[in-house]
Amino acid sequence: MSVKIEASHDGIPHNKVMVIGAVISLVSLYIAIIGTTLGVDYLAFFGGIAAIGALIWGNSTIKKLCSYGIGTGVPSAGMLAFGSGVIALLFASTLSGISIWIVPVAALILGLVVGLFLGWISNSVLNMKIPVMTRSLAELAAVGSLALMGLGAVATGFVGFMDIATFDLLGVTVYNASYLGAGIIAVSFMLGAIALQHPFNACLGPGEKQDRTNMLAIECGFLSMIVMAVISFAFVSLIAAWISLVVAVIGWAVSYVKYVALSKRDAASWLDAKPFSDSEE
Amino acid sequence: MSAIAAKPGANAGAFQPVPSVIAIVLAIILVVVAYFLGSAGILAGGAMPVLQTLCLIILGAALIAFGVHFVPVGGAPAAMGQAPGIATGVAMLATGAGLAGLFGGAWAAELGLGVALASGAIGGALMMAITCLMVNISYVFGMGIPAASGKVLKDPITGDLQAAYKSQGTEGHGLPFISYVGGVIGGLFGGLGGTLIYIELLNFYNVGLPALGFVGAEGINMLAVGLAGIFAIGMFLVIAVLSAYNITGTIEGPHDPKFKRFPRAIVAAILASAVCGLVAMLVVALF
Repeated sequence: MSVKIEASHDGIPHNKVMVIGAVISLVSLYIAIIGTTLGVDYLAFFGGIAAIGALIWGNSTIKKLCSYGIGTGVPSAGMLAFGSGVIALLFASTLSGISIWIVPVAALILGLVVGLFLGWISNSVLNMKIPVMTRSLAELAAVGSLALMGLGAVATGFVGFMDIATFDLLGVTVYNASYLGAGIIAVSFMLGAIALQHPFNACLGPGEKQDRTNMLAIECGFLSMIVMAVISFAFVSLIAAWISLVVAVIGWAVSYVKYVALSKRDAASWLDAKPFSDSEE
Repeated sequence: MSAIAAKPGANAGAFQPVPSVIAIVLAIILVVVAYFLGSAGILAGGAMPVLQTLCLIILGAALIAFGVHFVPVGGAPAAMGQAPGIATGVAMLATGAGLAGLFGGAWAAELGLGVALASGAIGGALMMAITCLMVNISYVFGMGIPAASGKVLKDPITGDLQAAYKSQGTEGHGLPFISYVGGVIGGLFGGLGGTLIYIELLNFYNVGLPALGFVGAEGINMLAVGLAGIFAIGMFLVIAVLSAYNITGTIEGPHDPKFKRFPRAIVAAILASAVCGLVAMLVVALF
């Protein structure tokens, strides 16, 4: 149950990745919030950068957690992260009634608190006895909450509860077409959860390299951001949505090319199978 | 941490009395906190409705945790025909069954609590029944293997002998009748629990959102539906994954020795849902 198998231990230590990811995420969220307080929404794409920062952090945590055999597969960790993260996120977003500036930090702290409960339950009540379990689940809940907030900021340009729960339709405030009311948060939930659990699940094994897994995490983050940027055409101004979309597509293309290059580097051999070959016979 | 020191002990499946008592006490404290938040007017609707909402959320979570243990989860070995069960993880299966039930129940939410709960339970059970049938069709006609359990000599329901059909070197394969029945029961409980959480949160938000100042516009019910839906999905995933951690991978169904671990998962679900439920209810708190 708790036998550690060796994941790669090359490269940057986990604590450093965690700090880098959290700082990228929080700073990007604050830049997006500065945009909304200034009344401009073309800084919304920084939400996607925030989600990617959180995903890099969460990816490193998942690598640490899943190097112990948890028996349920890597995807379960991603689902748990976003399941607890969405609860922390929505409560944190209601704190925008007090001040918009505390929302990202509140999401981080609330995620850690909810995750600490779940980690303690797994380790003590369920007797998992994995040394990093409590800390990992706390981190994952915070990651889920920050990544969801980032994806939501891309789609709507806002992080506050009132702003994501209402939608201004030709001067009339409606609820059923908003980010929450129309259920778009469920889309970002799944996009984020898959982007969180996929990289390590795809790269794990004896040949796993940290830079390749991280590049895949970045690629998955931009891929999720593309979808949220398309959705954002309904919520933010046209120019802001185009900025988000172009940033996401360029980021995805660059990270995809880099990921393929890293995969070729780590592969024993490489055969281009040419799926669309012109041979007819 | 060395691998040797962290080897699983013989009591990996044992009930943990002290942490369980602490967990229950913590859950009771959270329920009491919710009661006082309700009576202080911070949570809309008064003390008793708040108490009822949180208690029924906890009941729904306990039902989910219990139901997950019925579902025959095979994991990767089942995909190779070396273990009985459906060839994917607990989290995916329970989510599929539970969300199918939740959507069924959400559709029927306006027809009253009883109809909604029944359609949620039937939705989950139907989803699992179809999954189990298709899994057996692909096992029997696609992979050419009979259904046989490795954990029991005779099927507890039909009395069919299992050992004669079990291939050497495997733990059984396919979905024997008892696993099929377990899957349907698991879907039933999962759908019921998920729908209960959803309906309770929906009713709570329908009261709480107008108190928060969301008035005068169309579609306030849609906002409550969206909020309750995403919270029910989130809580469902948390409970399902915690139950999956309890099972640690694969289970054949109610006849599996691992099934006896379910009290732990219920205790875990009670505390986890008390925490998540209270935070979810605080979303409409009046600060």
